[in-house]
Parts: sequence; C-alpha cells; structure tokens
Amino acid sequence: MTDTKSSIIKDNIKMSIPNKPEYVSVIRLTTSALANKIGFNIEEIDDIKVATAEACTFLLKSKLNNENFNIEYNLFDTKLSIKVTGSRSNTELKECKENILGLFIIESLMDEVGFNKDNDFIEIIMIKEIKDVVK
Amino acid sequence: MALSVIKKYDEKMGVWVINPVGEIDIYTSPKFKELLNELIEEKKADLVIDGNDLDYIDSTGLGVLISALKKLKEEGYKITLKNIKPNINKLFDITGLNKVFVIKE
Repeated sequence: MTDTKSSIIKDNIKMSIPNKPEYVSVIRLTTSALANKIGFNIEEIDDIKVATAEACTFLLKSKLNNENFNIEYNLFDTKLSIKVTGSRSNTELKECKENILGLFIIESLMDEVGFNKDNDFIEIIMIKEIKDVVK
Repeated sequence: MALSVIKKYDEKMGVWVINPVGEIDIYTSPKFKELLNELIEEKKADLVIDGNDLDYIDSTGLGVLISALKKLKEEGYKITLKNIKPNINKLFDITGLNKVFVIKE
C-alpha cells in the first residue's frame, strides 16, 4: 500500500536535453545526484542511473526529431519518479536488439516501468522506492 | 568521461588483451566497436577484456561485445572478461550475458 509520505511530490525538476549522445553522461551525473539527495543507497543510485541512461539511449536510437528530448524528475520522500519523453518523425519504429536489451535492463532495475509509444511519440516512466526506509 | 582503450596482443598466450579505461556508452561505443573490428580484422584470436578500469557500460556497449563475439565464435574463439566491477557484473547477470561470455572473478 502506498503511504502518504511517499505519495506527495516534494520537488519537480524538468530538463530539456539536446538530441545528442554526449549528453547522456550529464544525465547520469544529474540522476545520481538527485537519487542521492532522496536517500537511496549506493546500489539503488546506480540502478536508477543505469535505467535512466538506458531510457535516454532508447530515445536517442529511436530517430527523434532534431529537437530536444525531455526528462522530468518527481522527488518524493522515499521515492523517485522519472519520465523521459521525446517526439520523432512519423515513421515506423524498427526495434534494434540493443533497444530491447535496454528496455530489459530498465525493467530489471526499477520497481515500476511504463512505456508508451506511437509513430511520433515515446514516453518511458520509471519509479524506484527506497526499500530500507525507517518508518 | 571519455573512453580510452589500451590493447596488446599477448604472443605467449595467443590472445588479445584489451583494457578499456572510462565508460562505454552510446557516445563512446562507436569508437569501441571500431577498435574491436580492427583487432578482429588484424588477427582473429581469443579476446580478454580487463575491466579493472572500466567504470560503466550500457546496452550499446553490450551490443558491441555481442557483435564481436559473434564474429569470433564463427572460428571457435571466445571473449573473456576479467576484473569487472560489481555494477558491470550485475548487468551481465540480469541480461543473462554471463552465460554467453566467460566471466572470471
């Protein structure tokens, strides 16, 4: 059951990232810092960092339009929610094997994962909760 | 962080030993792929990857390794990973790639 503490958003952070692979390392650093701020342990921080980078990599490999893609972090007391979204040309998405591997990694590392896509939009939502929280 | 790769052919053991330093991700993996292709082109042999200085690898990096293994396996060669860090070992575990590559503690 979701307790009240973990269901109230403390802070909301939105970032718009250029559609370029070199910025994924910046996202990894930012994500780690935010996860650390909430109080996740080192292994959980690494899981969140890896999953978020994989979500961005998925978008970058999905023929996005030449515009920025977006990351939104919702910080709760004991939970972090990350939404990565991007728009792309109206083309059929042909999944490459690496993308499938990436999604598998995301699903293995995060507690909840939502994935929505159509021909011109992709959205990946990931949630991780602190396991050893003292109540 | 960028990626640099130290490579050498061990004549005595008859294997390529490569030591990636830094991170293999969507930005650096094309360079890593090019290097592995050059090695395989130059001489097909078993490949040992020393992960002592490898801090991070993502699905694109894993894809490069899978593609190199495919080429080497055709002629009976293998890829061994040694000294890999726990965070990277975890990725090999959850993807099942620890059964495809030889992982040494």
